[in-house]
This record gives sequence, C-alpha cells and structure tokens, in this order.
Amino acid sequence: MFGRYRGNFRRECGDILVEAESVDGLLTYRRRCERQTFERILVSNTGEVIINPVEPVNLPKDITDFLQIEFSPMMIEPGATRTVYLKFPVEIGVFVESARDIEVLDVFAPSTQKYTLYGSPTNGIIARYYESAVCPEIPPVEPFHEGVMELSIQNICREWVEVSRVVFESTDMKIYYGDFVAATATMKILTKTMAETDFVDAPLRPGMVKSVELYATRKIPAIDRGYLMEWGFS
Amino acid sequence: MTFNVTEVLEIPIGVGDITVERLLYFVAIITVGVLIARIASINVRRVLAERLPVNERELLAKLVYYGIIIWAFVVALPQLEFDLSGLLVAGGVAGIVIGFASQSVVSNLISGLFLMFEHPIRIGDYINVADVAGSVEDIRVLSTVIKTYDGIYIRIPNEKVFTSNIANYVHNAARRFTYEIRIRHQDDANEAIRIAKEVIETHPFALKNPAPSVFVDNLGDYSVNLTAYIWAPARNWWEVRTDLLWKIKVALEENGIEVPFPQRTVWFADGLEVKGGSGEKNE
Repeated sequence: MFGRYRGNFRRECGDILVEAESVDGLLTYRRRCERQTFERILVSNTGEVIINPVEPVNLPKDITDFLQIEFSPMMIEPGATRTVYLKFPVEIGVFVESARDIEVLDVFAPSTQKYTLYGSPTNGIIARYYESAVCPEIPPVEPFHEGVMELSIQNICREWVEVSRVVFESTDMKIYYGDFVAATATMKILTKTMAETDFVDAPLRPGMVKSVELYATRKIPAIDRGYLMEWGFS
Repeated sequence: MTFNVTEVLEIPIGVGDITVERLLYFVAIITVGVLIARIASINVRRVLAERLPVNERELLAKLVYYGIIIWAFVVALPQLEFDLSGLLVAGGVAGIVIGFASQSVVSNLISGLFLMFEHPIRIGDYINVADVAGSVEDIRVLSTVIKTYDGIYIRIPNEKVFTSNIANYVHNAARRFTYEIRIRHQDDANEAIRIAKEVIETHPFALKNPAPSVFVDNLGDYSVNLTAYIWAPARNWWEVRTDLLWKIKVALEENGIEVPFPQRTVWFADGLEVKGGSGEKNE
C-alpha cells in the first residue's frame, strides 16, 4: 500500500481501501477504513499521491506531539547499554505532492487510540499511549497496525534504575518502511528520574524507504533536540 | 488669479512658526508610520502563523505595530516644533498631571502589560473572570475581549481582569470531571463498576493516567450511588464528558443494571387492604 501513485490507482489491504479514480473527468481520492470513509476531489495535472506511515499522534484528532510507550519493567545496572525492540502504533498519512508543494490529504489508522498524561496535571504533557512487549529481536507485527522500534537504552547514572516507559517528541520521529514499519530511537538515562530520548535517522534494515514526515509537510520548523523525560520512567 | 503652491505651503497655521508644509510633513510621516506598522504587523502574523502560539504571535505583532507608530511619532514631532528635550524636563510634572487625569486608563494599560507578560490567560483559553465565562478572543492594551459560550462579545477592562479571580480551565494539561451514576440496590455494584471502567477505557481521550476511578460513594434512599472520576485533556474534556455518560448508561442497561426511579416502601401496621381491585366494584 505504501508508495507513490499517479492518476488512477486502487489498493486494498484487509479492511483498508485507498483509491483514486476518475469520475466524469474528476479525479476523486477515496479511503475506507474501520467503516469510516473520506473523499476528496483532486484537481491536479502533475501531482502524485504519496502513502506512507506517519508520526502516530494525529488521531482521532491532533492534540499532542508526544508518544509514550509503556512496557514491562526492566532493571538496568549503572553504565549498561542494551538494545531492545518495542512496538509502536502506526498511522497512515496520505499526501499530495506537486513540483512546488506537498500537502497532507488524509491520515487514518485501523487501530484504536489512547492518550495519557506524562507528569503532573500542572506541568505534565498529554501523550499518545501505547503498550508494548519488550523483545530481544525484531518481533512480528501486524502490518498497518504496528511498527517496530529499535530502542538503545544507556544508563549513564551511577545507580540501578527501573525503566517501564519511554516518551518521545514525535516531531523528531524518523519512520522507515519496507516489509514492516520501523523507527530507531535512543534513551539515555541521566539520573534516577531523568532521561533523554531521541530518534535516529537511519533505517532498521537496508533498503527501507524513509517516510514523508507530517511535520515537514506542515512546514512547522522543529529543532531536532530530542525530549527530556523529567518526570521519571517507571 | 494665480495659485502658488509654495506660497500656500508657507502659510502659518497660527501656532508658533508652524506652516502648512510642516503640518503636512507631520501628517505624512504619521501616515507612512501607520502604514509601515500595519504592513509589518500583518507580515509578522503571517510569517509566524504556524511557528508561534497565537498569544505570543499577537503580542509580538502588537509590539511591532505600536513600536513603529511611536517611532513615527517621535520622528514627526519636530515638524510641529515640539522639543523632545523639553518634554523630558516637563515629563515629571506632566506625568503626575496625566496620571491623575487618566488614572483608570493608565491602570488598565499597566494591567494589560502585566497580563501580556505574566500569562495568566492566553488567547484561545477558556476562562471565567469577573463572572464572565468564555474563550479569550484578544488581550488588548486596555481591555480583554471574551467570547462567551453563547457567542456574545464582552469587553472587560484589563484592570478588572487583573484584579479579579481568574479561573483558567485549560491552563493545566489535564482536568478531571465527575459523573454520579445511580443503580438499584439489588444490582451488583462491582459489576456496574467493571462495566463503567470498560466503557471509559474505550474512549481515546479518557486518560490512561491518571487512571479513572469508579466507586460506591454512598447508599441513597432508593439507589446505590456510584461516583466516577475521569481525567481528560483540558482542551477536550467537554467532548469526553458529553460522550461517555450515555455510553455508560447504555452499557449498564445492556447488562441488566438500571437507573432506579424514586420510590419509597411504606409499611402499614394493620396490613393493607386493597379496594377497587380487578373484578371488584366500588359503589
């Protein structure tokens, strides 16, 4: 389903249908997913439709930039570094691109969403919530529902720490796709309650294609500085 | 009769040595200043449209606008033979006079500046101030504009805003709301709690953490009263609140748990003799 399309096309995967067809000379984009439909007439001579996974913080509507993944608690010794694999939710973005501009046309997902508060109600942030198992190898994932995140955790503080969640700022997120959707991230534990998280702009496997990012197309300038988790990680 | 422009421009207007030409210069400089200020503030808004929150953007646009106008005024004043150094000398006395004369205006102005920099409210926030509830449309130099939930435009002087208790409903990231759910005494309260929690769990914006809490709060005359505390993002709490209650009611009823009608059990000392029952005729 992911890729670039020009003119008429039709892609159907399970309950998801995405198509563009000419009706009476008008090119109409149509999407059906989870019994919801979306339709737009496209007026374009040279434009292309791009479908790829995007930062999973847009549905049911855009209220935050943060993603929190919760997993089984891990005890990490001082100085230790470990790479684990987590699952993260996938949202599918559809873009229309011409020589001069690119714009978001549609965002959808076949799965449900849940949000949470990270930190206190006064100073905390709202984040998209997702629960994942911790896997030592790349786990099998349900296509279009979940992606695989390679997370390198490094404990640079002098104490044992317990880690059971990680929070990311999605404006930094770099997503790649191929056989599955993937992202690579790091978590550097600074103290018993503080950690720095960031994404790495690299494919998990050779040959994966980089997704067009929502934040890039919305022309919102963002400095890739990672996110500082100040309110703990367990 | 010939019309000589130069002569017209040199006609004094009757105030000092100020001529028509200098007056026109003054008006031209102010006009150009206002034009530049407008163009600059519009461009500031346009360029920063998606880069800054609306509050900061508006504050910056206003600073640019008034900054340019003040600059134009300072540049134009010498055309009216207004000595700025003299203004400085007279500033102290004039300040006191103006201060007394425009006490409320200055008070509103200072309050407005504090509001802009302290940020108890921002444009777009849902607030309740001085018994007015609604969303903040604009924070101006002298007043704050609020659009009530009924769509009414209300202008409140900044002094009143600044000295009143302000309830800002969206200042924090999340807020809690409460439901009171009544079930019959014969219904299983634990089952009702489980069902209510399940329904709450399905809503994307009913926050996972802080976790929702549903419990038996008290035993009423004819009902067991459950209370549900649910946290939601502050800007989305109303849609969660209006969406969930009916879903909980439907889910409870699907499982045989109903909302009771008000009822009272009455005991008669001698038993109750029913008259006028079926087949019996009163005469």
